[in-house]
Amino acid sequence: MTAITEPEAATTASGSGDRAARSFRPRYPAWLTAPSFLYYAIFFLGPMAILVAFSLATQKGFGSLSYGFDIAQYRLIFTSFYLDIFARTLLMAGIGTVLTVLVGYPVAYWMARYLTTYKMLALLLIVVPFWTSFLIRTYALKIILDPNGYLAKDLGINILYTKYAIAVGLVYNYLPLFILPVFASLERMDWTLIEAATDLGARPFNAFRQITLRLTLPGVVTGALLVFIPMTGEYIIPNILGGGTYEFVGNVIGDQFNSAQNEPFGSALSIGLMAALSIFVIVYILVATKEERFGA
Amino acid sequence: MNKDRDDLNLLAPRELRPKFDYLHREVQRAAGHPIDRRRALGLGGMAIFAAAAAACGTTTAGGTAPGSASASKDSLAGKPLENHLEIYNWSQYDDPSTYTKFKALPAEANVGMTIHETYYSSNDELLAKLHAGGTNYDIIVPSQNAVAELIDEKLLLALDKSLLPNLKYLDPSFLKPSYDPTGDYHIIKDFGITMFFYNNKIVKEPLATMLDFYHALPKYVSKGRTNLLDGAEEVVPLALMALGLDPNTDSQADFGTVKNFLLSIRKGVTTIDSSAYINDSIAGKIILSQGWNGDVRRIVQGRKKFGDITPIIPHKASEIWADNWCIPANAPHPVAAHAWINWLLTPSTAVTEMNYHNYKIPMDAALAQLAPSLRNDPMFNVPKSYTDGYHYILNVSPQVVEARTQIYTQFKAA
Repeated sequence: MTAITEPEAATTASGSGDRAARSFRPRYPAWLTAPSFLYYAIFFLGPMAILVAFSLATQKGFGSLSYGFDIAQYRLIFTSFYLDIFARTLLMAGIGTVLTVLVGYPVAYWMARYLTTYKMLALLLIVVPFWTSFLIRTYALKIILDPNGYLAKDLGINILYTKYAIAVGLVYNYLPLFILPVFASLERMDWTLIEAATDLGARPFNAFRQITLRLTLPGVVTGALLVFIPMTGEYIIPNILGGGTYEFVGNVIGDQFNSAQNEPFGSALSIGLMAALSIFVIVYILVATKEERFGA
Repeated sequence: MNKDRDDLNLLAPRELRPKFDYLHREVQRAAGHPIDRRRALGLGGMAIFAAAAAACGTTTAGGTAPGSASASKDSLAGKPLENHLEIYNWSQYDDPSTYTKFKALPAEANVGMTIHETYYSSNDELLAKLHAGGTNYDIIVPSQNAVAELIDEKLLLALDKSLLPNLKYLDPSFLKPSYDPTGDYHIIKDFGITMFFYNNKIVKEPLATMLDFYHALPKYVSKGRTNLLDGAEEVVPLALMALGLDPNTDSQADFGTVKNFLLSIRKGVTTIDSSAYINDSIAGKIILSQGWNGDVRRIVQGRKKFGDITPIIPHKASEIWADNWCIPANAPHPVAAHAWINWLLTPSTAVTEMNYHNYKIPMDAALAQLAPSLRNDPMFNVPKSYTDGYHYILNVSPQVVEARTQIYTQFKAA
């Protein structure tokens, strides 16, 4: 496979080089991007730099830091206790993502393949919950999961203030973020390929697995990352649906800033979380570029 | 902002200080809003030079400074009352009439007193603001742990007791608490305690101490939701006190003991929450929980028709907390700030205040004037026999706070 793809990649690269040389691109003066870059530098890179400076500082007293290059905070992360918190956060986010895929994919598939007149309406209904605040939605879920509610009383599902409630909350809150990109890639599907496959004797499941799933995989991976990343940074859901008894990294970071007034360690934890997530993003980029080659 | 004063000392002889103060006030009055001293003096100086240049040295503002006699370093006695007060407070924490009546007092009305108030929602927010600097508050209302921290950081003004004649009404046992041993930097605003309550239809055995409460948790958790108050500064020190240890300990052995104890009762705790528990309890969802006395009072009243909540003020030890009037070291209007505190120490004002916020002000003259339903409610007027054994929870040092936070995080993650 590599033997075939690599020359291909080389030709496309040289091809785009030719195109650039011929330059049919509209002219776009670089300085027009200056306001955007300025905004980006001040409000995105700025806070990041402050976070890094915090994480390398030493706590002197309450609210006072001495800046320097102290990696003690990062060492503290690598104690078994905090590693456990990281592991459980990633595990919970992973489970949440898998569940989101299992719930979201069939919905997106159904919308893209079988809805015609009501497609836009269905899409609208998926997005509607986003018009209310995240916090309110989570509180609303609390009513459904309440021990005195129908779920608990009639069905015996009493899970409020456990990790199961957190998982339900994660899936519920992030589902639209997953459905939308998957729907977009399913929309572009050429369904005649499935017809061709069945004509050639493929069972429906095989046709789905070998064609539909493969072609929509980039959408699934995008959607999964789109929900996985914010899930790992989740703070509100564990707090409300876990009753404050289940800790994600986000909650530990919150405690470091709010109650311990220990900005260095809180910042180091934040950067540690970002580093952990970068690994997943790198995996994504590798998978995504590979898929692009398939497409080409 | 001590720096301003130092600059002044370097640049001008001390005798000129009252004149500069006067100039500062005049400029503020002209501008119509508070201005910090440096800018005010700058503006005032320019005005004087302009006036001098134009009118060739007729009388300038400096000549008529009133009350400029005794300006020793810390004494404010004899200084004139400023005409503005900048308050940084918890929201809805004082009766609206307290403000209007203060402005209508003879001396205050005479100078045309104005009050501007902004709000914070946690001590951390207050501390962050003060640490960042550049503030111009005259009055702040920190809780006990923040007071201790601010004293340590030299951010509070030593109060001039000669400007607080009404201090005599306050219960003397509240003047020199552990968080301000000299009693120089704070005046208590009101205080409360941490107690617990249970649903007496489910919990049948009598519980009397905080330790009883903790032991009951694993026993009853299967019958309904149990709750602890949220935060490392609550969970760890309260458990230390239940075990008969010092809540403000910095001993590793004590931390080890309390950690093991907390982990042993962990399975008995459904939620750790300090805000939703009030409404959830009124809705009958909580069977056993800690709570602050004002909140528990609301819960008991909310469950009156069911009569199933038994409130317990713990014997032996629990937490006492206090909110306090303090003046930042850089307050631009210290005399007005003292006048405000003195006004709040007036028994009639204290009565209005207590009827408004329902937290106890330790002032017998005012308590006697309250309606019996409030005065005789032990959840409001917590008997001294209980609070004598109670402790303030303090942020002793960053190391102690970090140790508490670690135990708290481990407790929650268990």
